[in-house]
Amino acid sequence: MGSPIKPPDEDWWDVPVNRRESIWLGLSVAWSMILFGWMSLWTRIGDQNPIGETYDVSTEEYQEKVESYREEAETLDGSIVPPSDDIYVAGIRFQWRGLPVVVETGKTYKFHISSYDVQHGFSIRPEDVLSQHTNLLALPGYEWVIEMEFDEPGTYHVICNEFCGVGHSSMHGVIEVRDEVNV
Amino acid sequence: MIFDLFDNDYDEDGFRTCNVTGMSIHRSVENPVKVFGLTAVVALVVGGFFAIGVALTRWEFVGLLGPEEFYRWLSLHAWNLLIFWMVFMEIAILYVGGPMVLGRRLPIPKIAKVGWGTMVTGALVINYAIWTTEAPNQAPLLTSYAPLPSSPYFYAGAIIFILGSVVAALPFFVSLWQEKSWGEGGSLPLVTFGAFVTSIIAVEALLGGLAVMVYAFLWRIEILESIDAAVYRQVFWIIGHGTQQINLVAMVTVWYFLTHIVGGAEVVSEKVSRTAFVLYIFFINLGAAHHLLSDPVVSISWRIWNASYAFYGATLASLIHAFAIPAGIEAGRRRRGKGGGLFGWLTNAPWKNPVFSATIFSIILFGFVGGITGVVMGQVQLNMTWVRTLATVGHFHGTVALGTTIAFMGLVYFVIRTMFMREFRFGRLASLQPYLYAATMTAATLMLMYIGLLYGVPRRIHSVVRDIPGTDFSLSAAEPLMMIFGPFALLAIISGAAFVVVALASVLFGERKLPGSDLVPDEGVEFESDEPVHKFDMRGTFVITLIFLGAFIVVYIANWYLLSQLWSIGP
Repeated sequence: MGSPIKPPDEDWWDVPVNRRESIWLGLSVAWSMILFGWMSLWTRIGDQNPIGETYDVSTEEYQEKVESYREEAETLDGSIVPPSDDIYVAGIRFQWRGLPVVVETGKTYKFHISSYDVQHGFSIRPEDVLSQHTNLLALPGYEWVIEMEFDEPGTYHVICNEFCGVGHSSMHGVIEVRDEVNV
Repeated sequence: MIFDLFDNDYDEDGFRTCNVTGMSIHRSVENPVKVFGLTAVVALVVGGFFAIGVALTRWEFVGLLGPEEFYRWLSLHAWNLLIFWMVFMEIAILYVGGPMVLGRRLPIPKIAKVGWGTMVTGALVINYAIWTTEAPNQAPLLTSYAPLPSSPYFYAGAIIFILGSVVAALPFFVSLWQEKSWGEGGSLPLVTFGAFVTSIIAVEALLGGLAVMVYAFLWRIEILESIDAAVYRQVFWIIGHGTQQINLVAMVTVWYFLTHIVGGAEVVSEKVSRTAFVLYIFFINLGAAHHLLSDPVVSISWRIWNASYAFYGATLASLIHAFAIPAGIEAGRRRRGKGGGLFGWLTNAPWKNPVFSATIFSIILFGFVGGITGVVMGQVQLNMTWVRTLATVGHFHGTVALGTTIAFMGLVYFVIRTMFMREFRFGRLASLQPYLYAATMTAATLMLMYIGLLYGVPRRIHSVVRDIPGTDFSLSAAEPLMMIFGPFALLAIISGAAFVVVALASVLFGERKLPGSDLVPDEGVEFESDEPVHKFDMRGTFVITLIFLGAFIVVYIANWYLLSQLWSIGP
């Protein structure tokens, strides 16, 4: 017995399990439950969750939304000042329509993320702390509304991190975060 | 000489008894195993060659290729290594795990040939399609980002390759059917059972792949007017990640097989190991969902259920194997009187045998590097900091380039000795090669993870560290780590090339003779003893797995700490 290339003895199901293997099984089950529990719990107690409604939207409809938002908005130092809590961003090869935008710390914004053409990666990081980065996806045909609130002022850079064509690496935009935005 | 490669000393019925494993091997099984294995090595050579351009471009200090060439090379690197090297090996593993272990002929051998021919055709078409990509088509990388168009030949090649893989797997299924209906009853050997589980997961993945590639092909040749990016992504990842789950289960099966034959390992609990395989059947393919965790469209409940492989059912299975396999080595060797202290069973193991060392490095590195990070990045929220960065590339180099590739290298070494019956050429290099490759690829892989996680450097991109065109901003803070990554990536490629040199030189020019006893433990592969294996001490394994769990917990907490530093995202 014990060979993995021979049929096992008939009573293989009844062979006892070594005590240390049993302990490991218990630890493994416990760790699996902790992994699941913490992930689930973080959706209730945590501040970082990729949760937001998605709406079907045609490219034309979304273009209209973005353009009317841009017309309504004022600008500050060349950046869009959102007229309300809503911010519209669209990926289009190879730029971010709707950026640069200037926002206030401590205020919750609803980012509407979509694309006019292909898949784009909406990846944000503050200029000075590159280890803080987040990566969300912009899909054509879908408008994803996801809330964000920045607590530190600074320049946040958006780059595309989903392959969208040969010019992919030049796709860059900016979110300017300030303590106060006075137009 | 070529025909010499496919001729061993068979009896009148075409069988021979392997003097290493004791298995009764029929010519009709052995030859296809060699053919699929050699084809896999050819794919490894092609994919490894394109790794040179990929590594030397991402190492922007060199910046070898322009963007168009870079994406082309990256695509060829991905398809030849992630898909062709793996899947050709896996068909060989099915034939070993099925008819060879069961001592049967390969049923419907013509179908195996048709399958091989179809797979090769598909692989050639895909390579051609990528190499000749011209605007408006874009290089597909692995995924092909519909509605970004790839060459129609690419989708057609993928359909052909997938169909070929299903056809090539059919003889395996027939051999199991024959065993169960004509055999003597009883349970399948564990290796056969593992191969069977692999094949079930493979069929699921391949059917998903067929669906998505037919959908994309019909859109690309303009029979369908449009393609839904979200549907494409969801169905694509059934095969996109599913193929990697095939790798995992095939690799675990190989671990049980090779640790037994060259290390004297035994199965310490058939019940526990088989239960773990069954958990894979139910849960492992759900893990593909983690490609959609930072996407719109799918609900949070869907994400949590699937990303957790349903309460981490598949992770539990891997944790079980993580104990069962080293415990098998430990108890098996103690039973043979090769214990001694906490780790004597490990230190006195045959470390000069590349089949053994490759298998052990595969187990350790898959677990510590690939496995832990896979679970971590598969957590819904942590995924936001991992996905589409070089850290992800680090993860799957931990699983595929370290775990599966090293295990398969070990298997190829084993096939060279026991089926091609060749002594190794460059014997010392053969002994060293697993060490060189494991060390250098581990260093490159860890750098990828750090660069991705700590500096947010994206994957699938030509240049961002030194220069983002049109802005002063760049990710140049990552440059020092890139200066470590680049040389180690090159060394890893050279160490991979050393494998190919040893393998091909041995097959073509190695001395032909029956494998010697140096391959197996002193007492032979099968060791009879009255004392059942589960009664032997497993404390060394217990210590190793506790260290593993400790590392897991530390990495887990560190990642959550990093995430908690982010601004508020979501409700």
